[in-house]
Amino acid sequence: MPEGLSLLGHGIAHFLTWEALFNLAWASLLGIVIGALPGLTATMGVALLVTLTYKMPPDQAILCLMALYVGAIYGGSRSAILLAIPGTPASAATTLDGYPLARAGKAGMAMGIATTSSALGTLVGIFFLALIAPWLAEFALRFGSYEFFWLALFGVLISGRLTAIEDPLKGYIAGILGLLAAMIGMEGLHAFQRFTFGVSALGGGIDLIPAMVGAFGFAEILAVMKRRFTAELVTSDDRVLPRLADITRYWRTTIRSGIVGTIAGIIPGVGEDIGAWASYAAARRASKERDQFGKGSIEGLVAAETGNSAVIPGAMIPTLTLALPGSAAAAVLIAAMFIHGIRPGPLLMTENPAFLYQIVGILLLTTIAITVFGLSLTKLLVRVLLVPREKLMPVVYVLCVVGSFAITQRMFDVYVMIAFGLIGFVLREMRYPMAPLVLGIVLGELLDVNLRRGLLLSDGDVTPFFTRPISAVLFAIIAMTILMSLPMVSRRVTDLFKRLDSQRPAG
Amino acid sequence: MTDLSADPQTERRMNRIDLITGGVFAVLGLAIVYLSWTMPRLEMRGIHPATVPGLVPGLLGLALAFCGVVLGLKAYREGRGAGGWSDLLALFRTEEAGRFCAVAGLALVYALVLVGRLPFWLASAAFVFAFIVVFETWLSPEPRSLLRSTFLALVQGVIVGVVVTLVFQYGFLVRLP
Repeated sequence: MPEGLSLLGHGIAHFLTWEALFNLAWASLLGIVIGALPGLTATMGVALLVTLTYKMPPDQAILCLMALYVGAIYGGSRSAILLAIPGTPASAATTLDGYPLARAGKAGMAMGIATTSSALGTLVGIFFLALIAPWLAEFALRFGSYEFFWLALFGVLISGRLTAIEDPLKGYIAGILGLLAAMIGMEGLHAFQRFTFGVSALGGGIDLIPAMVGAFGFAEILAVMKRRFTAELVTSDDRVLPRLADITRYWRTTIRSGIVGTIAGIIPGVGEDIGAWASYAAARRASKERDQFGKGSIEGLVAAETGNSAVIPGAMIPTLTLALPGSAAAAVLIAAMFIHGIRPGPLLMTENPAFLYQIVGILLLTTIAITVFGLSLTKLLVRVLLVPREKLMPVVYVLCVVGSFAITQRMFDVYVMIAFGLIGFVLREMRYPMAPLVLGIVLGELLDVNLRRGLLLSDGDVTPFFTRPISAVLFAIIAMTILMSLPMVSRRVTDLFKRLDSQRPAG
Repeated sequence: MTDLSADPQTERRMNRIDLITGGVFAVLGLAIVYLSWTMPRLEMRGIHPATVPGLVPGLLGLALAFCGVVLGLKAYREGRGAGGWSDLLALFRTEEAGRFCAVAGLALVYALVLVGRLPFWLASAAFVFAFIVVFETWLSPEPRSLLRSTFLALVQGVIVGVVVTLVFQYGFLVRLP
């Protein structure tokens, strides 16, 4: 523990330089602006910023990316409250109570509460990140090929299951498509080129950054411009700085939402939107004022904003210790870490233990930055919301093109961006979630290589995949996830629980 | 989060779309299975037969085909009733479809035709200019005056083109296309 605290101190002190504080300030402010603008999401912002920071030293680049990520997830609350349009999908639950509060002349109060809740949510998440990540990394050192195969499969499946609640089948299909995209190019065991069809540029496989810029940038531009835009900006001149009593009054909701958000973050590929919805639902169930939810409940706003912000540190837990992205933006962060020579995974704590605590330090400093900006720059952020999207979107698209091109300086990556943009748009219109697709691309190689390496080690025998203790547990969870997504199984299990519940008072 | 609104027309449409895409995924999955089956098994290099390169893509192809069939069957079972196909075709005649075609068209012409043929700053300026004018005048519910829109779009286009080019060319040392 003392060693951990000392590393944490170093992690924070590492970024107390003028250069780092400057980077922190612009990146978190840019993040807030990106988040506040409907149509620009955190994932798109982080993916585009990778291309702008790849020449920076690794620690400064990761600082900028993390600060932008945290800022964007918080920034989404501004448009959710003032326009009733979530700036990013993470703020959809914020709209439910934030906008009614603004309409009731309490826009300032809602923005203030959203700011402090986001900050507190991040702090709860940071606490669990610092607590769980070192332990999980040590535990993951016991993982071999068999376990990593199941882990990769679990990541894609659970992401597919939880991001497509309505129809898990579409989540699974999105995941399989992502895994198949990862099969293109040279495979990692025998250096054989698969599915290249004679195109030499495909030999290196599909790079994640252009694919993400397409799926979250170009696809988003298409989706935003397709619709007509009608929104009414509601502001008021009431006090933004919240009173201490307003913050402490809902401390139970804050802690509960922080924990729910962190758990949503830890689950691979389940992002801030699910974290916000889950903590909102949990708060409503436990609240004494549940009839006020959706009509301007401060508790509802606290739950949604704490929940989505706690996801970020939560998502960093599997991202850093298992190289399993906790959210879509975390997938981009993994790609960025590889670009900068940092290898996330179980060996991170052995090879580079300071890095984990640097991430904790970055998150702590960014929390301070978003609180200061959020409570002080209200007028500026309202002006940002008024930027017409007809003027903004072409600029974003130019950045998508140049950003995809910049890293390896070849037009092929621009074509990848366009292809993923069009495919991503069509899939989203057909209600396929994007997160499992992204997870599939990231985890495809891990799944492929570890399945075949496992089979090689066991001389073609599949039993170790089911008999090693950790493998068996992972397999059981996967089987349960798939079974529970079959309507007839989930109906029967729910019926069984209901029956047991109704018998409880009698027994 | 997926859209939970369920008006009957949208649901019918989605149903027909699922029926088609289910079929497409099934065929795609089987095609991948075939390609994986016929992929070289590197016997000459003496690799273990359980580690052939086509193993995982083949399994994924099977999984995709299976999911496609289930998706199609589910849509077929739920989707009986009149009007489904005409609802689907009507989708291509909506205003939203027109706006989509305009954005996609402009974006593709810029990235696939203009970039590489014109200097990058000029291509970008032309794209930004055209995008703003199209969406502020032609496709806007409250069209702006053409002259004003054209002038402001031209100014913004040139500024964006020049600034992006300068920043990437001299700031990040990227040799732009």
